[in-house]
Amino acid sequence: MSERADPLEAPLAGQLIGPLFTLVLCWSLGALLWRLWRWARTPQPVPIPLTPAPRTRTGVLGRLAAELFAFRSLFRATRITWLASIAMHYGLLGIALVHARFLMSVLPAWMVPVLQISGWATLATLAGIVVLAARRLLIDRMRWISVPSDHLHLLLLAAIVLSGTALKRLWPTDLHATGLFLRGALSLDWQPLPAQAGLWLHLGLVTLLLAVFPISKLVHGLGILFAPTWNTRAR
Amino acid sequence: MNTVYPIIPLIEQRAAAAHVSHRADAATSEALGYPGEPVENWQALAIARLGELVAGNRALRVFMDTCTRCGACTDKCHYYLGTRDPNNMPVARQELLRSVWRRYHTWSGRWLPWLVGARELTREMLDDWYRYFHQCSECRRCAVFCPKGIDTSELSMAGREILATVGLGQRYTQTIVEKAGRIGNNLGLKPAALRDVLENLEEDILDETGVAVRLPLDEPNREILVVTPSADFFAEPHVDGLIGYAKMLHAAGVSWTFSSHASEAANFGLFNGNLDQERELAARLVEAVYVLGVSRLVIGECGHAWRVAGERLPSLIGDLSILIKGRAEHLCELSVELLDSGRITLDPARNAGVVATYHDSCNIARGAMMGERADGAFELPRRLLRAAVPTLVEMADGTTRRETFCCGGGGGLLSDELMPLRVQGAEPRARALRRVVERDAVTHLVAICAICKTQFGSVLPAHDLERVRVTSLHALVGDALVLDAPAVPMPGPDGIEPADTATEPAR
Repeated sequence: MSERADPLEAPLAGQLIGPLFTLVLCWSLGALLWRLWRWARTPQPVPIPLTPAPRTRTGVLGRLAAELFAFRSLFRATRITWLASIAMHYGLLGIALVHARFLMSVLPAWMVPVLQISGWATLATLAGIVVLAARRLLIDRMRWISVPSDHLHLLLLAAIVLSGTALKRLWPTDLHATGLFLRGALSLDWQPLPAQAGLWLHLGLVTLLLAVFPISKLVHGLGILFAPTWNTRAR
Repeated sequence: MNTVYPIIPLIEQRAAAAHVSHRADAATSEALGYPGEPVENWQALAIARLGELVAGNRALRVFMDTCTRCGACTDKCHYYLGTRDPNNMPVARQELLRSVWRRYHTWSGRWLPWLVGARELTREMLDDWYRYFHQCSECRRCAVFCPKGIDTSELSMAGREILATVGLGQRYTQTIVEKAGRIGNNLGLKPAALRDVLENLEEDILDETGVAVRLPLDEPNREILVVTPSADFFAEPHVDGLIGYAKMLHAAGVSWTFSSHASEAANFGLFNGNLDQERELAARLVEAVYVLGVSRLVIGECGHAWRVAGERLPSLIGDLSILIKGRAEHLCELSVELLDSGRITLDPARNAGVVATYHDSCNIARGAMMGERADGAFELPRRLLRAAVPTLVEMADGTTRRETFCCGGGGGLLSDELMPLRVQGAEPRARALRRVVERDAVTHLVAICAICKTQFGSVLPAHDLERVRVTSLHALVGDALVLDAPAVPMPGPDGIEPADTATEPAR
């Protein structure tokens, strides 16, 4: 099962999933670049720094870093949401790092400790999602402002994390073949995806996430770098 | 953190729906280049104008994309806390515009409106725009807490501009913008009348202090042009602040003048999201600088005037290198400079019995930098106040400085028909104030914004705080000022001001 299979021998769906995954990746990246370009290209007629604002370029970078990495304004606003957001975002970062394993044909030594955080990262992500979803359902103000996609984004993330956890702990999975598939999709040398329902589910959900990422509110992480309230210097 | 609302009130749908400000009359709207009456094809026009505004303004463009409806702002707006109307939660106010944006200008909103919460621009929606974009004082408090840096005021301004484009301008702001553009100030005070007012004030000061303090108008070859909100010429308690400026500048021997061409610091063009109007009004400041040949431009006690002059003027008008500092200065900067250099002396004993608390006006706290230090907007006024009064106390953390609550009357909402909203919007500030009144027996609420002063004077009685005196910072500075007696003592109605020749700084 772990040896390189000839894609032509796989069933049709197995042949198509690789190119489809590559296509969605290209779409996601392309749409994201287009959005960045459009933010950058739109003029800002008057400066609107939110004072007190930094007066130097370094100061602006510091402000953006504090918002991007520590969610400083959210910390000011509500501690519970801040904690849940930190848990979810850094959990996802941890999970992404662990998944970098699939991009490498040989396991490098530095990757070994990274793989150790997998469980904790998953736990943090799920805990964060639960709190964020509970807020949306329980607090009347949150219910009023939430739209269906807000709930579905959280649901999608939860489903990805849960199916991934199941692949790791419950459903026997051919990780080597999965790595071959992913590296193949990235290098346009498409390999079949092992015919395992759980794996297809997990990868399908991830593909959906990648597809909606650039055209949904999920782009907020990059968008905040363009917020003129933060990225302009005070006079 | 919000220390005056330990429990956030539950939402009450459409609780503030009855607060609708009056529509501008046809003549005023047309004078400003807008349709005088609501237009037939309002829907298409509004959608197109929204697209234009977003395409020309990065803030709008980014803010349309980055909100996650995380809810961090939901309990931060004084109008939400005061009215409980969910449309006054900043995110909900933004969504009035953003959901329509999604419906007509994004792929997901066009094809899957139910999924992403995209909404049609119906007549009801347009009416809600009019209602709730005129229930935002554009104070930017929500932006301080937004993890995406979204500034609701930018969306309110855009919403108002779209409304004006389809013939739904607001009377209060449009009347003022039109008057200020035509006559030079919001009160419609012509030069001759202004000269009379200033001469009368000179007489009042002479009667009161025995000192011949000048209020010069259009005098050439002066060093400093002072531009103040026109409310300072008439309104109470504003005029006491103006008298304070004049006494201080006199005592320091500063060479200064007012201008009849730039007789208004306030700039209501800012509130309605029309940069051309804002620019036209702001241009008067720079024109007066050139005509009078001054080297310094000093802005008096007005919040958004300072935002426009202190932060936006170079972008609106251009290079300001004719000014010695290359920028406009706030009056508080000048006052601190005079105090520190010993050119004025303040004696807090002259304000005996005053227990003051300072209200950070929103546009000063969050709109522009004052002086050379990042926290100048908070610290310079407080330094003056500490030098001028025996006791200064602070309201609760989370209600001052960067996180200050708006007075509830800013952003073009200071009109009579909105009084119930103004009373409710002032509730958070009133709560914080009541605490220090009860705890520290505060007697004076000090502000450096004409709108704040008018608003507090009108609404504090409704919060049982009518005994607190709303005061201009420079009224207290003027009262504490050690003003030299005239060379030849002259008897006034209250006897002769004692000659006080102390030259040391009061600090």
